[in-house]
Amino acid sequence: MTKVQKVSHTNKTPKKGLMYQIKKNKLAYGLIAPALVAMLIIHVIPIVSGICMSFLKLNQFTLNQFLKAPFIGFDNYKEVLLDPNSTMRSGFLDAFRNTAIFSVSCSILVISIGLLLAILLNRKFRFQGLARTLLMTPWVVPSFVVGLLWGFMWQQDGVINRIIVDVLHIMPEKTYWLTGPKVLIAIMIPTIWRTVPFVMLMLLAGLQQIPVDYYEAAEIDGANAWQQFRNITLPLLRSVLSIQILNGIINYIYSFNIVAMMFGHGAGFPGKYGDLLMTNINRNSFQIWQFGAGAAATVIVMICVLSLVGVWYKIFQNDLVVND
Amino acid sequence: MKKKLILSLLATTLAATSVVGCGSGSTETTTTSSKGETGTTVSASPDAAKDTTSGDKTVVTMWIMPNSGEAEADFMTMLEPFLEANPDIEVQPTVLDWGSAWTKLTTAATSGEGPDITQLGTTQIAAIAAMGALEDLTPVYERFGGEAAFVDATLPTTQILGAGEERYAAPWFIDTRALFYRKDICEAAGVDPTKDFETWDSFKAALTKMKDVEIDGVKVPALGMPGKNDWNVIHNYAPWIWGAGGDFIAEDNKTSVINSDEAFKGVKFYTELATEGLMSMPALEKNSSEIEALFNAGEFASMFSGAYEIATLRKEQPELAEKVGTAPIPEGPEGRYAFFGGSGLSVFKNSKNKEAAYRVLEYLMTPDAQIAYQEKCGNLPAVKAAFETEFVTREEMRVAFKEQLQYGKAYPSVAGWGPSETLLQKGLSNVWDNIMGVFGPYDPAKTQEFLDQTASECTTIYSQQ
Repeated sequence: MTKVQKVSHTNKTPKKGLMYQIKKNKLAYGLIAPALVAMLIIHVIPIVSGICMSFLKLNQFTLNQFLKAPFIGFDNYKEVLLDPNSTMRSGFLDAFRNTAIFSVSCSILVISIGLLLAILLNRKFRFQGLARTLLMTPWVVPSFVVGLLWGFMWQQDGVINRIIVDVLHIMPEKTYWLTGPKVLIAIMIPTIWRTVPFVMLMLLAGLQQIPVDYYEAAEIDGANAWQQFRNITLPLLRSVLSIQILNGIINYIYSFNIVAMMFGHGAGFPGKYGDLLMTNINRNSFQIWQFGAGAAATVIVMICVLSLVGVWYKIFQNDLVVND
Repeated sequence: MKKKLILSLLATTLAATSVVGCGSGSTETTTTSSKGETGTTVSASPDAAKDTTSGDKTVVTMWIMPNSGEAEADFMTMLEPFLEANPDIEVQPTVLDWGSAWTKLTTAATSGEGPDITQLGTTQIAAIAAMGALEDLTPVYERFGGEAAFVDATLPTTQILGAGEERYAAPWFIDTRALFYRKDICEAAGVDPTKDFETWDSFKAALTKMKDVEIDGVKVPALGMPGKNDWNVIHNYAPWIWGAGGDFIAEDNKTSVINSDEAFKGVKFYTELATEGLMSMPALEKNSSEIEALFNAGEFASMFSGAYEIATLRKEQPELAEKVGTAPIPEGPEGRYAFFGGSGLSVFKNSKNKEAAYRVLEYLMTPDAQIAYQEKCGNLPAVKAAFETEFVTREEMRVAFKEQLQYGKAYPSVAGWGPSETLLQKGLSNVWDNIMGVFGPYDPAKTQEFLDQTASECTTIYSQQ
């Protein structure tokens, strides 16, 4: 996982026709064919039908016509983005803002905390194995359970307020974490808590690939810890970091389970300050039955994410190539 | 270069396909359902409605919800006398869970491949019927004892309001909420439960007395109710909105009137019980189950809950149960109304075994079967005759529920009600936020603002065709 492995040596062979390539590697193609077909069925068909749905008037009255529902062009997109009377628009824009803040904050915090923990765990100390195991625990808790548990803990008379107010006396009175602007913090902390172990593990694996000689040489040259980190650790971790950043962007934008479970197992409404894109789209599509508008919102999100991935690729493309 | 291309393709696919999980593709995901606590997972196969005969038996397939702890076993136990008397019929129930049921039901309705019989929540009947998926049961209603056999308030839920006289379901059971109060706290506070819970004003006065009472050195909140994070948000508001003369939809069945002066008055009265210290503020973050658990642990002096709470109290807290009484919902300035939910049973239009399905329904609508099933589920039977039996007299806490039957009112049975519930839930949650001080000090004008916004959104949904 430390470096992107070279896939094959085909770029060294002279260019031949597609049929020649298929013939030559027919066993390999034969072996991946079932997976390819499954991927097409599972991913491409729903995406294409989702895009088609976004151009249709698809609600509870037309659902039984499905893809034969009346074609309405870009009306669903207009409704989601421009129509002031739409049941979706205001909520969608709030959710967009919340998701942006949530994703950027979580990405930065998870990578920072993950890197710090990975560096600490990369050192030799007593009970190192135990510390690693304990730090990995949050990752094995299913995300819906995380949402459920933190939903209880954040309640006004829950354990978090008891610790903050009654034990540590950090705040004068018990606040409502699950309402108002603070709700985003209440969503971010469990998300970070659950995601950090995975990122930490990946970065730890990356750190262990860095030869110790580099640090020894740097030490002889008089480099201090910060210089070693800046000039050795960080550059050599870039490829792992880039993948983690991509993974983070996608995961946080599509966050659903923790938020849905924290607010009444899907019954509640996280509010103007806590609603994320996925909870918003899910509610509009499957509870308010605006399937067409929900699909349009999904496509908008998909375009945004693909653009972000494009930006990410521009920034990190050089880190994804391995020098053999 | 090739490697770069592969990586960029991988990244793009990862990004694009992640949308499907939570977006438009999710309709395909919920195809299995849990069987309550029986621990088995049953695949609700889409070919359930096939002409199913095993040997000389007709197999009637049926979807039910987890109505009791051992959903399938309890249902089959109740059905035993019928199966003995009708050896030519076999009933195969599949237990869906409420969360995923809607997707299953809409899939069945749109594909035409569902079971023979299905249980539907009262608010789902009109929506599924509007999709043209349910059989009109009007011609066979006499076999269930006719309309007169059912508790009056349950009947409107079996039709599409304003769209003809057809009945698409037979009421199966009722879910209504009455007041559960602690007799010992009432006594210590000088509250007479027989008359002090009669009207809104006397109810408020009673809560004011109860909130300062100490029992065994402990003061408990006078009323505990869930606020926003709960499936029952609207159910808990409804009696207060109706009691103040308000309603959800105007007579044209298209305009939401949740923002009318009357509805506002009801919402304001109910929510201000919290700002006045009569209702627990921290409880507003909890759901119904948590509130019931806290009441059962002696943490509240009163709460509104369903008849199922009686069985829980008797089983889990028999000592506390002796100290608990029940009363119908208090009367508002414009009348006394209790929320009526519950479920009905419908036959899918595509069923190949309609006659056998009617025979099953016929049995399920008998008072004996209704009582036997509700002894296990804890809700209330939907047939009137069941309330004239020992079912009520042998449990004093059920008396208030029987009395409440005459005040029952169900939500307007329009096709748009289901989708609008989420909007109402969101709007009324914002009202709770206002009460909890999220937008600064509590301001009734903000409540009106949220109701206006909700009304506008709901009207859009109700007007949709």
